Amino acid sequence: MSPAVRLQIENVSKTFWRAGKAPVEALRGIDLSIDEGEFVSIVGASGSGKSTLLRIIDGLLEPTAGQVYVDGGAVNRPGRDRAMVFQQDALLPWKTVIENVSYGLTLARVLKAQAHATAQRFINIAGLRGFEHHYPHQLSGGMRQRVNVARALAVDPKILLLDEPFAALDAQTREIMQSELLSIWQQTRKTVLLITHQIDEAVFLSDRVIVFSARPGCVREELRIELARPRTLELKRTPEFVGLVDRIWQLIEAEVRASLAEG
Amino acid sequence: MRSTPVDVKKPHPARRLLALLEGGSRWAAVGRVALSAACVLVVWQFVAMFVTNRLVLVPPADVARALLREIQNGDIWTNALATVTAVGTSFVVSVAVGIGIGLSLASSRALSLMTGPLLAAMNSVPIIALAPLFIAWLGLGFASKFVLVMLVAVFPVVVTTEAGLRATDKQLIEAANSFNATSLQVFTTVTFPFALPFIVSGIRVAWARALVGIVVAEFFGSFAGFGFAIMSASQTFDTARVLAYVFVLGVMGLTGTMAFETIERRLTPWRSE
Repeated sequence: MSPAVRLQIENVSKTFWRAGKAPVEALRGIDLSIDEGEFVSIVGASGSGKSTLLRIIDGLLEPTAGQVYVDGGAVNRPGRDRAMVFQQDALLPWKTVIENVSYGLTLARVLKAQAHATAQRFINIAGLRGFEHHYPHQLSGGMRQRVNVARALAVDPKILLLDEPFAALDAQTREIMQSELLSIWQQTRKTVLLITHQIDEAVFLSDRVIVFSARPGCVREELRIELARPRTLELKRTPEFVGLVDRIWQLIEAEVRASLAEG
Repeated sequence: MRSTPVDVKKPHPARRLLALLEGGSRWAAVGRVALSAACVLVVWQFVAMFVTNRLVLVPPADVARALLREIQNGDIWTNALATVTAVGTSFVVSVAVGIGIGLSLASSRALSLMTGPLLAAMNSVPIIALAPLFIAWLGLGFASKFVLVMLVAVFPVVVTTEAGLRATDKQLIEAANSFNATSLQVFTTVTFPFALPFIVSGIRVAWARALVGIVVAEFFGSFAGFGFAIMSASQTFDTARVLAYVFVLGVMGLTGTMAFETIERRLTPWRSE
């Protein structure tokens, strides 16, 4: 029996109109379906509309055409079945770690004691025990991103949406965070959709990598990553891994060069 | 050549004192104020030894005596009651009204664009110059003081409230929206806490302006208050008494400023590190 489809994206397009400027077609006819418990990444050159698609799935943006479904239900606004992990600095600087992790629950009017108990569980999973009462400015970039991930997990979403979560981190921290994300995913078994421009990150983490084309963004190619799990960082040095990364790079190289030329 | 390493270990005492004064502790702040006050007093006393015309300059000791006399005969309390009641109520109302106007300006782009030029014009006009007009309209006493103080004190709060609310990090708002926050929740959990330190800095400026406003209002029309006392003392050429009341006003201004600065710092611990 194949697993149930968790996230269904049907023919989603998005065009931005701005006064006095030519309309920008960010996404055209995106069809995508993600199974329960699957880890999927989208890679593509900048300007390929990856972030726009993620915001449409989260309900922050409305598609111009098409529809997103979670477990068969149409998505029109943000909801607790989806949670987003942003790039950096989406934490409230005046709140402690535990208050930040409880934030989504507080907004949903969960009682404070209960919210903190739930938050504590995800603080432990994210390896932040002992930092509950620290403020974000007292933490390193990597630690802050763990808080971001814990905050998203605390609302117990069906789908975790990650928007280039490690882009602002240095290379070494990023590697560590990738393997930690895998271990968190193995403990929670969420359906994950990750947006990244880091090809090796996508291959290392995912069951499937979707390669996007730019202007307008559309699905160029889909690769199933058959590498065995659990995966460790040594995997990145194997020929299979390097081969996959190379193949994806060749798919998007021309577009990255084109977007560089446009400045 | 033996002295060189010792010099490296122990910086010059003057340099150490400077480092101490630049520190962030409360005692460093008190030390700074005390030191600058002491410098002013010394220079003042010194100059007064040569400028002997007591109409032009009175030495600090005379001012202190005048202040003591005012305290002993109770005049200072009568004046303080009048000034503090008027400036206190007016200041509190100004802050509330200023935050209210700032909130509505931040919530509507159209409103902000329409009223912006008007507010800027009113802010740059010397409202103080209109004091006699307000006294003609509202009579001598509380009402005219209240309105005049409010007109000068409300603007800094309006401007900083609007600026603070508009400056809120877009990522934080997006994160709140992503958790399906209502617009009221976005306001109470993100934009308002973000704007709060801005608002407090506006309140700090408003306090200083309110003190100027109250004194001017009392110059022109009142029967009690620090401004009234300064006016009547200068009409009898009692410079020591004038300066005694100016000193009291200075202390009020300084206390308020330091208190609001402390609140601002407490609200934004992430800025200092």
